[in-house]
Amino acid sequence: MKILLVGMSHRSAPVEIRERYAVDEVGPILRKLIDRDEIEEAVAISTCNRVEIVVSTRQMDVARHIIRSCFHSDFGGGLSLPNGSQLDDHVYEYADEDAITHVFRVASSIDSMVVGEPQILGQMKDAYRTAREVGSCGPLLSRLYQRAFATAKRVKNETLIARRPVSVARVAVDLTRQIFENLKSKSALMIGAGEMIEASLFALRREGLGICRVANRTRANADDLAARFGATAHGLNELDDLLVDSDIVLTCIGVNDFILDPERMSRAMTLRRSGPVFLIDIGVPRNIDPAIDSLDNVYLYNIDDLQQVAESNEAERRRESKDAERIVIEEKERFVGWTVALQSVPTIRHLRARAESIRQSELDRVLSKSEFSDEQKSRIDSVTRGIVNKILHPPLSRLRAQTDREEGLAVLEEARALFALDDESAPGSEVDDLQKDMDMSELIESFPESSEAKESE
Amino acid sequence: MNWFLQASAAIYLASGLGAMLGLVLQSVRLLRGAILGLALGVAAQGLVFATLHERDPVPALTDLPQILAFMVWVAAIGLLVLNLRFRLGGLVAVVGPIAFLSVFLSGLNWGRGAFLSSELTGSMSHVHILLSTAGLGLMAISGLVGVFYLLEHKRLKSKRLNARRFQWPSLEALDRVGLATLITGFSLLTLGLITGGAWVYVSYGQIWTGSSHALWTLVAWAIYAGLVGVRVLGHQVARQAAATAVGGFLFLLFAVLGVEILR
Repeated sequence: MKILLVGMSHRSAPVEIRERYAVDEVGPILRKLIDRDEIEEAVAISTCNRVEIVVSTRQMDVARHIIRSCFHSDFGGGLSLPNGSQLDDHVYEYADEDAITHVFRVASSIDSMVVGEPQILGQMKDAYRTAREVGSCGPLLSRLYQRAFATAKRVKNETLIARRPVSVARVAVDLTRQIFENLKSKSALMIGAGEMIEASLFALRREGLGICRVANRTRANADDLAARFGATAHGLNELDDLLVDSDIVLTCIGVNDFILDPERMSRAMTLRRSGPVFLIDIGVPRNIDPAIDSLDNVYLYNIDDLQQVAESNEAERRRESKDAERIVIEEKERFVGWTVALQSVPTIRHLRARAESIRQSELDRVLSKSEFSDEQKSRIDSVTRGIVNKILHPPLSRLRAQTDREEGLAVLEEARALFALDDESAPGSEVDDLQKDMDMSELIESFPESSEAKESE
Repeated sequence: MNWFLQASAAIYLASGLGAMLGLVLQSVRLLRGAILGLALGVAAQGLVFATLHERDPVPALTDLPQILAFMVWVAAIGLLVLNLRFRLGGLVAVVGPIAFLSVFLSGLNWGRGAFLSSELTGSMSHVHILLSTAGLGLMAISGLVGVFYLLEHKRLKSKRLNARRFQWPSLEALDRVGLATLITGFSLLTLGLITGGAWVYVSYGQIWTGSSHALWTLVAWAIYAGLVGVRVLGHQVARQAAATAVGGFLFLLFAVLGVEILR
C-alpha cells in the first residue's frame, strides 16, 4: 500500500490561484474519490492557504492521474487558470515517506505561512473528522493522522515554535501583560474603529480586559464596534476625560495632526496620580506625538516598534522550527518503521500457514497408513504442533524485531527467499492463495500491539 | 557548622538553579518546582530556629550570622506569601542564590559571631531583634523588586524586547510587591524601634543612650518614614518609588548593620 499526497499551498501558488481551488465541502469529493477502485482511502483539506488530498493506493500512477483530474474538475470547477498558467505549475506531489513527512510538517505548523500558528492543526482535525464521517479514512490514513496530531503535540510541548506572538495585535497584548498584572481590572480606550482596532480589541477581550471604550470621529462606527465587543462608544470631544480613566490607549485613526500630545497627556497623568499608561499607536501617519514617551509612567509603542517585535518573534519561531523538523523526522521514522513492520505480518502468517500445511499433510500421510487410537492421534497432533511452533518461534520473533525499522524490508525479502515463500512448487504452497489478498484492516488489527502503536492511540 | 542550616542553604541553591533553568527553558513546571524548593528551604531553616527555642534560656539572635539568616528567612517567607497573589516564580532565580550565600555563610559562623552587646539578653531585646530583622528582611525584598522595576522600566522604554521574558513579574506586580513589603517592613521596623527603646529604658533608666547604632537607626527610620509617607499618599510615581526603595534599603542596611560592623 502506498501513500500519495497532491496539494497546493501558499508556497506553490499565489492567492489568486489558491482562491479558485478552495472549497467549503470536501465530503462529496472524498466520496467520489473512494468510489474509484484504485483509491483505498482519502483525506482532503481545503483552507485559504492550502488544498491537499492524501490517499492510500496500490496503483500510484493511476491514483496520481485521478487526483489531478479531481483538482481540475472538483476543486477548480474545470476553469482554466489566468495568464496561461497551468495547474501543474502550482501543484506539488509527495509519495510515501515524503508524504508522511509533509503531513507531519503541516500538522506541526512548520509549513504554515506564519510558522507556529495554531489554526492549521484544528483544520487538519476537521479534515480528518470529515473523512471519517464520509467513510473515506481507513486504518492506514487514520494511523497517519493520529500520528500527525501526536507529532504536532510534541512540537508544541518540546519547542518554543508557538510561544511568541507574531501579529501586531497579539504583540500589543503581550506587551500589555508585561506592564499590567491582570487585565480584568484595567480599562482600555480605543481611538478609531477600523480593522486594526477591531483585531486588537478582540485580542484584548480574549485576555480578559475589563472595561473598554471606543472613541471615533464617526460616532456610528464607534457604536457599531462597541456593540459587538460590549464596550461603550464615545466621540473624540470626550478624549480628555476618557484618558484619565484609561490604562491602555490604542490609536489607529486617520488624522493629519497628533491626537495626543505631551501637554494633554501630562494633564491626564496628573489626574491619574501614579498609575502607568500603555499607549499603542498603530496609526499611519502616527496619531501620538513621540515626545510623550519621555513622560514618567507612560510607555509608548508605535507600529514600527510592534512590527519589529513581531518580526523578531517570527525569526525566533523559524529558529525553533529546526528543533521541530528534528521531531518530525523522528516521528516519520517511527511511522515508517511501523508500516514496514506491518508488512512483516503477511510473511509471518504465510510462513505459519506453510508450516502448518506441511505438518498437516505429513500427519495425514502417517495416520492414514497405520492404526492409531484417538488418544494416540491427539498426542501425535499435539507433539508435531509443538515441534513446529518451537522451530518457528526464534525466526519469527527475530523477523518481528528486525522489521520494526526501515532496513527491515531487506530482512523480510531474505526471509521470504530463505523459506521459499514465493516458490509455488515448494511444499505447503497450496495455502499461498489464501495469503495473497489480505485486507488492510485485518492486517493492522492482526499487527502485534507495540509501544509505538499504543502511543499513537 | 550547623548542618540543618547548610541543608536549607543547599535547598535554596537548588531552587535558585531550578528557577534559572525554568526561565531559560521557559518551563512553568520548573518554576513551580523552584517555588516549592524555596518553601522547603524555608521549612528546613524554620527547624533551625525551632531548635534554638528548645534551649533554656532562649538565646537572642545577637550575632551577625544569625541575624543574616533570619533576615533571609523572613524575606523568603514574604516572597512565598506574595507569590500566592502575583506570579513571582522568576524572582526565585535571584532570591534563591542570595538566600543560599547568606545562609551558607551564616552556617559557617553560626553562634560564633560577636556583633551586638552581650548585655542584650531578656525577652524585650529578643523581640526587638526579631521585629527589626524581620522588617529589614521585607525591606530587602522591597529593594530587590525596586531594582527589577527599574530594569524592566528601562527595557520597556528602550523598546529592546528581543531578550526572552518568560514568567517574569509585570511592572505593576513589581510595584505592588514593593509597596506591600515596604509598608509591612517599615511597620515591623517601627515596632522593633519601639521595643528597642523600651528595652534600653528598662536596662539604663533612659530611652536615649547616644550610641551610634541608635543614632543612625533613628536617622534612617526618619528618612524612611518620610519616603513611606510620600509613597502612601500617592505623591510619587512607581519609578521614583522603586529608586527610593533601593536607596532607602541600602541606607537602612548601613545604618542598622554597617555602623555596628564598622564600629
